[in-house]
Amino acid sequence: MRDPYQVLGVSSTATDEEIKKAYRNLARKYHPDNYHDNPLADLAQERMKEINEAYETIQNQRKGGSQPSYGTYGYSNGSSGYGGYSGNYAGGTKFQRVRAAINQGDLNLAEELLNASSDRGAEWNFLKGAVCYRRGWMDEAKRYYETAVQLEPTNPEYQRALHMVNGGGATYRPEGFGTMHTESCHSSPCLPLCLLWSCCVPGGYYFWCC
Amino acid sequence: MFGYVRPAQERLTQEQQNLFSGMYCGLCHTLQRRYGLAARMILNYDLTFLAILLDEGEPCSLCHKKCIMHPLKKRPCAQPTTALDKAADYSVILTWWQLRDGVADHGFWGGLKYRAASWLLRGAYRKACAAQPEFDENTRRQLEELSALERENCPSIDRAADTFARLLSGASDGITDPIRRRILQQLLYHLGRWIYLADAADDLKKDVRSGSYNPLPLRFEVKNGELMPESRQQLAATMDRSAEAMAAAFELGDFGEWTDIIQSVVYEGLYAVGNAVLNGTFRKRRKREAENPTRKAGT
Repeated sequence: MRDPYQVLGVSSTATDEEIKKAYRNLARKYHPDNYHDNPLADLAQERMKEINEAYETIQNQRKGGSQPSYGTYGYSNGSSGYGGYSGNYAGGTKFQRVRAAINQGDLNLAEELLNASSDRGAEWNFLKGAVCYRRGWMDEAKRYYETAVQLEPTNPEYQRALHMVNGGGATYRPEGFGTMHTESCHSSPCLPLCLLWSCCVPGGYYFWCC
Repeated sequence: MFGYVRPAQERLTQEQQNLFSGMYCGLCHTLQRRYGLAARMILNYDLTFLAILLDEGEPCSLCHKKCIMHPLKKRPCAQPTTALDKAADYSVILTWWQLRDGVADHGFWGGLKYRAASWLLRGAYRKACAAQPEFDENTRRQLEELSALERENCPSIDRAADTFARLLSGASDGITDPIRRRILQQLLYHLGRWIYLADAADDLKKDVRSGSYNPLPLRFEVKNGELMPESRQQLAATMDRSAEAMAAAFELGDFGEWTDIIQSVVYEGLYAVGNAVLNGTFRKRRKREAENPTRKAGT
């Protein structure tokens, strides 16, 4: 096992407060909401596990001093329910094979099964959206999720999926970086500075653009 | 690729800024060393960013030198690395196929400039193709697929963007560490998707006027070559999803001395440029640069 202090990116002389802060920051970074239905979710989950273990180890080592009041995030098993990385496509009955294929990451099979189905109800649209989302086809995913929610407005699974594709996840930002969106960026100082940058640095567009 | 990806300068220390411009100059020198003077013309920021991402932890040392573009003042310049070599090969291949695409899309007169440019790049392309045959094959295949989608007037922005996204994620194939390869594959996929969408938005007016293929008016409401506010919001949101996916992938890898530079791109630079593209200011500035070449060459 790696040195727990190294995992949290702090020195072994750091105060409990500093350790807690570093842990919190890392836990926010690798939070399941940031890797919801992400093809790299397994790596994030592994990282989260490592961070939790490191934090617990340090806490245990330091026991006897001031008792840290902050428990670890309970994502170390990382799969079930709301906080899961995998999105957990376990429910439903009609499309069980499709859900299994999505869970295994076999998107081609899932798509094939969906395209062969004559039922184009809410669940079909939801799963079609899930396949698109995993591929990174965010616009199509959003449209399928919207249809699913329209057809079955009370289904929490569909609602959550639509919420995520609309940017509702707990999107992590490093310290000092505010929340940013392409649409609302103009109020920030970044734009003129970014444009200024391109005047100062060598280059720009030497060549054609198609 | 078109030069949309740039770091947020105010986030970087002087040293980091030197590192970035050193990489830019380093790629330029690598292009000349491997492919001759004409190949330098294909250089842009997106390709510099690609070189940074492809770096597998080889230490980057800067030297200072003058060059044909900057004959008066010495500039920081990265010494040759494997990542720079690879990025130079990919750049040549990418540009070559885009030029061939330009030749195919335009008539005799309109295609002249593409034909001339690809004639200049022909020797370089042959060499790059021999060095990176898989990337060449993948690029050709994806751009062919894109041409087919263009012919059938594909209304899905995701399907159209997917071709360029997969093309770019092909650059991760040569990465040796399997986990790093997966991370880069995802990062480059969304970089490609984002660049494709930014470029489609940037070219919207021109494409509507000339009747060229652009997926945006087929998907969104467009009036006088401009996206309606609600459509613009939707496009911005879907570009944000790709920027977020890039950030999520980036956080899982170790990018060493490039960490702060990449961070400033994926958490700020992309949003700033995306905004400038969507409200039209990016194109105006580019036009200004084109009309004022002395400034461009002298800066």
